[in-house]
Parts: sequence; C-alpha cells; structure tokens
Amino acid sequence: MTRVGALVWFVLVLAAGFATFKVKYAVQDIEDQLNHVRKQTVAEQHEIRVLNADWAYLNQPERLADLNRRFLGLVPITAHQLQQKIADIALRPPPAAEPAAPDVVVAAAPATPPATPTTPSPGLPVQLVKATPGAAPDPLDALIAQIAEAR
Amino acid sequence: MLSLQRLEESPCRPRHFRPPPCAPVVTDERHAALIETSRSRLVATAALFALVFMVVALRLVEVVLLPGAAAEPRAEHPRRAAALPVRADILDRNGKLLATTLDSPSLYADPRQIIDPRAATRAILSVLPQLDAGEVYAKLASGKSFVWLRRHLTPHQQYELNRLGIPGLQFEHEERRVYPLGDLAAHVVGFCGIDNNGLAGLERALDKRVKDSPGPIQLSLDARVQFILHDELAKVVSDFSAKGAAGIVMDVRTGEVIAMVSLPDFDPNHPGRGDPGQPPGDAKERTFNKVTLGDYEMGSVMKIFNTAMALDSGVATMAKQYDASHNIHIGRFTIEDYHGKHRWLSVPELFMYSSNIASARMALDAGAARQKDYLARFGLLSPAPIELDEVAKPHFPHPWREVNVMTIAFGHGISLSPLNVISAASAAVNGGVLRPATLLKVPEGAAPPGEQVISPKTSEEMRKLLRLVVEYGTARFAETPGYVVGGKTGTAEKNLHGRYELKKLVSSFLGVFPMNAPRYAVLTLVDEPHGTKASHGYATAGWTVVPATSRIIQRIAPILGVEPVDETAPAIVQALAVKSLQGKKIEAY
Repeated sequence: MTRVGALVWFVLVLAAGFATFKVKYAVQDIEDQLNHVRKQTVAEQHEIRVLNADWAYLNQPERLADLNRRFLGLVPITAHQLQQKIADIALRPPPAAEPAAPDVVVAAAPATPPATPTTPSPGLPVQLVKATPGAAPDPLDALIAQIAEAR
Repeated sequence: MLSLQRLEESPCRPRHFRPPPCAPVVTDERHAALIETSRSRLVATAALFALVFMVVALRLVEVVLLPGAAAEPRAEHPRRAAALPVRADILDRNGKLLATTLDSPSLYADPRQIIDPRAATRAILSVLPQLDAGEVYAKLASGKSFVWLRRHLTPHQQYELNRLGIPGLQFEHEERRVYPLGDLAAHVVGFCGIDNNGLAGLERALDKRVKDSPGPIQLSLDARVQFILHDELAKVVSDFSAKGAAGIVMDVRTGEVIAMVSLPDFDPNHPGRGDPGQPPGDAKERTFNKVTLGDYEMGSVMKIFNTAMALDSGVATMAKQYDASHNIHIGRFTIEDYHGKHRWLSVPELFMYSSNIASARMALDAGAARQKDYLARFGLLSPAPIELDEVAKPHFPHPWREVNVMTIAFGHGISLSPLNVISAASAAVNGGVLRPATLLKVPEGAAPPGEQVISPKTSEEMRKLLRLVVEYGTARFAETPGYVVGGKTGTAEKNLHGRYELKKLVSSFLGVFPMNAPRYAVLTLVDEPHGTKASHGYATAGWTVVPATSRIIQRIAPILGVEPVDETAPAIVQALAVKSLQGKKIEAY
C-alpha cells in the first residue's frame, strides 16, 4: 500500500516536472516569436517613416513645379476656366421618344440657362419618373419634344 | 498493560519510532495518547501536501493540456510595443509632412579589423565623396579601436556602405529630425539641435508638446499656398533687388495662418549654414522671421485702422469731407500727400487716394485717447498672440502727443509686426471680430472665440473702402478677375537712427478676397526694393507687391476652394457700392 502510494506520487512529480519544463520552453518560444515580431514591427515602422519622408521630399512643390516645366507645361487654372459650375451643365437628354420606355431618369434641369452663375444652386435634383405612354400631356414630354426639335 | 515490547510490534506505530533506549517509563495510557497525536498530525500534514500538489497538478493539466484556458493575455498592443520617436511628426493642414524623426545611422569603424585601409578608403569614398581621403585613411590606419567616419547618413548611403562588405565598418543608430520640404516653411516649423531639442519656430515653442504627443501635430499651413507665396515673393525680391520680403496668408474667419514666408530663409536641415560668399552674419539674418519678429512702420496700411476708428466711433461718416488742399506743418514736420489731389476729400476718397493730410485731420478729430483705445482693441499695442516664441513687441510713442496722433494715422511713428497687422485687418473685414492668429489647424466649421472690436456695420463699410482702393485707387494692379480683391497699399520710408531715409522703403500691401464675403487676407511686404525699368523706377507698393499679390491670389484661390464670381455682376457691384459716391464720376488715382 505505501509502495503503491509512493510510486503514484513519484510518477506525479515526474509528470509535473516534465510538464513544467514543457510549458516553460513553449512560453520561451512564443516570447521569442513575439520579440521577433516586435522588432520587425519597429523596423518596418522606421522604414515607413523613411518612405514617408522620401515621399514628402519627392513631392516638394519646387521639384514638382520644375518637373511640370520640363515635361508637362501645365499652367495655373484661371478664374475664367472655373466660371461654369457643374450644376450649370445640363445632363444629356435621354435617348428620347421611345414609346415603351419603362423608367426614365430625368434631371429636372432648368430649361433655360440660370440667370446668374453666381447664385449658389441647391444641387441638381434627380427624379425617377414613371413614363406612362398615352397619359395626359406631361410638361416633361413637352420638354423632351423641345430638345428633340432643337436637335 | 502495554509494554514497550508490544508497542514495537504494533502495526500502528510510527515507522521510525523507537523508544529511546533508556526512555523513561511511561504509563500505557500516556503512550497511547502520544501515538494518537503524532498520527493525526502526520495525516494532516500529508493531506495538506497532497492538496497542494493536487492544485499544482490540476493547474498544469489546465495550462498544458486544455487549450483556451491559458493565462490571461500578456501580449501588449503592437503600437505600444513599438518605440515612438522622440519627437512627433509635424504635418501641414492636408497631412503633408513638414518635419519627421528618422532613425539616422552614423558610420564608425574599428580600425583594428580593417584589413586593407587603402582599399577601404577608396571604397568608402566612392559612396561618400564629400569625405577627405587623407583623413579617412589616417583614421583607418590609426590602429585605434573606434573612430567616427560620418554622422547621420541617409538610408541610401547606409545601404551602399553595407553593400561594400568591408569588415570593421559599423553603424550606430541615432534619431535625427528631418525637414523634407527644406526651406519651404523654415521659419514656422523651426529646427532642432543635435540633441533633438527645439531651438526655433514651433519646434521650440511647442517643444514639450512635440515630445509628448503620441500622434502627429497638424498645422494650419497649406504647403501649396506656402510654396506659391514663397515663389512670388522670391520673384519680387530678385526683380527689385530687395533686401528681403515677408508674406502671410490668413483665413479671416478663423485666424488660421495658411502661409507664412520670410525671405531670405534657410534650410532647417542645416540651420547654421548661410549662403557661401555672404558675410558671416548671413545665417543669423536668414533665421530671422520678419513676419513675427520684424517690426515695421507700415505706412498707409495703417489707414485701415485709422478709418475704421473714425467710422466706428462716429467721429466721421462716409460722406464727411476733410481738407487735403494744403500740407500740414507741425513743429519741424511737414505732412504732405504723395500725388496729392489738393482739395477736400470725402472719407472714401481719402482712403482710396491714400491722403496723409486728410487722414491726419481725421485722427485729430478723434483725439489721442480714442486712437490709442482703438489701436489697443485691434491688438496693435501688444505682441500678436501666436504659438511662436519669436514675436516682436510693437513700438509706439510715449507720451502720445498730437504729432504722434497725426503720424500714426498714416502709419509712421508706430512699428508693428506684419502678423499684428494682418490679424487686425482680418478683424476689420470679417464683421469686426478679432481672433488670435494661430498656426494650429482649427477643425472644419469651428470658429475660435474672438472679440468684437468694431461693429459689423463698420466692417461692411471697410470692405467697400478696400474694394474702392483696388477699383480706382493705389492698388489697381491687384485686380484679379473673378476674385473681387480689395486692399490697401503702404509705402513707408525706413526710419534709421531717427532719420527717414528717402531711398530706403518698406512697401507693403494688404489684400483681401473675395471682398463680397471675405475669406482670406494676404499681406506682402518687401524690404528696400529698388525701382526697375519695368516699374518706371518706382519701388512703391503699387508697383512691387501689389502685382505680386494679384498673381498670388490668382494661383492660391483655386487651391483654397474660393469660387470665382463675376465681379461686374449687379448683385456684387451693388453690395460693394459706396452710397456717397454713387452717381459721381470717380477720379482714378
């Protein structure tokens, strides 16, 4: 009885010792990996900093202006080129007058150019209109006809 | 009765229990009790040990065999694990890098490991041609154990040196501040010393913040606008062979400084290095920030504040007229007009023709106390509040005599930094709110708190007057199609040792655009320009900085997202029309 007990305890001690070492080495291994990854992260962060600095250096406005002078010849935009706003440009009319057109996306574009391009425009409202052939005269149809005529 | 003999035979006896050979004779009852106690103690101890070992064993089983039951996570966040640089990055308002900290390798050698110093010298010089061959050879052949060869290499140079594969060459890693945009924002960003302490500019003023900040610090500067301002001012300096120039662009709604240039400037990567061929004081002259540290008598630009004072305090109305037909003699001074009209002038006229005489009379009407009060309100009697340390204190007369009242009306006898002037001018046009100038980005849509210094109505009148100057007055070259520019010129003679030097001018122009809803103010100033053939010999503001400002506005407005308008549109003309001049033919300057 005592012998068996001693044996059990001995085996348990051995197992515990073995397990402890195993855990210790496993942890050490993982810690090594972690340190490696950390070092790599730092190295890569440094590299990113260098690349960022390099990028900023290559993007010096002075250098870009010089490159532009040599290869592109772009000039600063003038107010004249900006006079027209995107909202002032009418959308292309829909491929008009197909009788069975299902849904037509029509811009509620002003029929006439806006009086002053300087007033802020509330954006370009776009409406989805169900085309109902043969219905009562629609102001839209008139508009489309007008555009078709103009072409 | 138990005998000792029987005790020895008892199966329950403790294993090693032997009664001492000459143990005292004890009674059986006492024997039995002793044995019982020992036994129970042993059992208790064994149980305790077993329990502890069980706990250890169970824990081992849990840790080793059962996944997921591992100890609480100890891995730190990778960002925390990664070392932050000693100084945070500095970015412009769009995130462009202005200053960063790089790991900069320095090259040293262990000469005892160098096999062939001659070949090594040759190889090193192929990568670093700026080194002195004799010196490098002497170091490598010295037989010492450590010699510096070159501090602060670029990553590229390090790579090339590594590629040489010379044994005995080593790198030491040091951190170094790098300014990739060079001289572009040198005075604003400033620079650091070798030990990474800020010595000038924001690097110095925000030293603690730059060191503590975990993330980058974003400035209000726009590198593109900065470049354009720099470019145009450099052109003015070279065209008019001037001593220097200063320029600043400010958002009048927030007080943010969008660009700040002082010429001549320097490369913050090598702050101590002047231009070769220049006197030794050159490097110091270059690091001087004219915008904040310079103080200038601004000349007629001061009429903005003189007129705002008169209108806001009710001393004058737009229709009021002042006599500008004769020069004013006071003491040994004579106040006269440059290209005078020699007649009575109304307030808009005296402003657009920049009449010194009429302005002086208007200031006299207001009086010294009121003038001082308004200048103080505009913040012109104290250093401009900004993050930089290099800020000049305005110089003004003490005591404030009548003659000073008159000269200050047209900008003589008081000297200010350009930053002072543009902050006050922003307040004059933005509805009358003075906000402290700032170099740090203000979040979109937010407006820092300010102080109402003049009424919105006066501010509106000032906008009309400033527009007149560009339409008909001294700054007609500032007209920039699409951007409704307004402004005021100033040409002052330099006061050197108490005497005004006729040939040494400081020409300045304060421009604001678009005048119908002011967004940005531009102040340009050129120090000692000389007239050229193209300017018909003039070095006044109208011929030097005014055309430059027009070019600047034309280039920066699209970048800053200012929508061009048609300045002849009735709505805008109407909004900026001066009632008292309506129906009259306005004489051009």
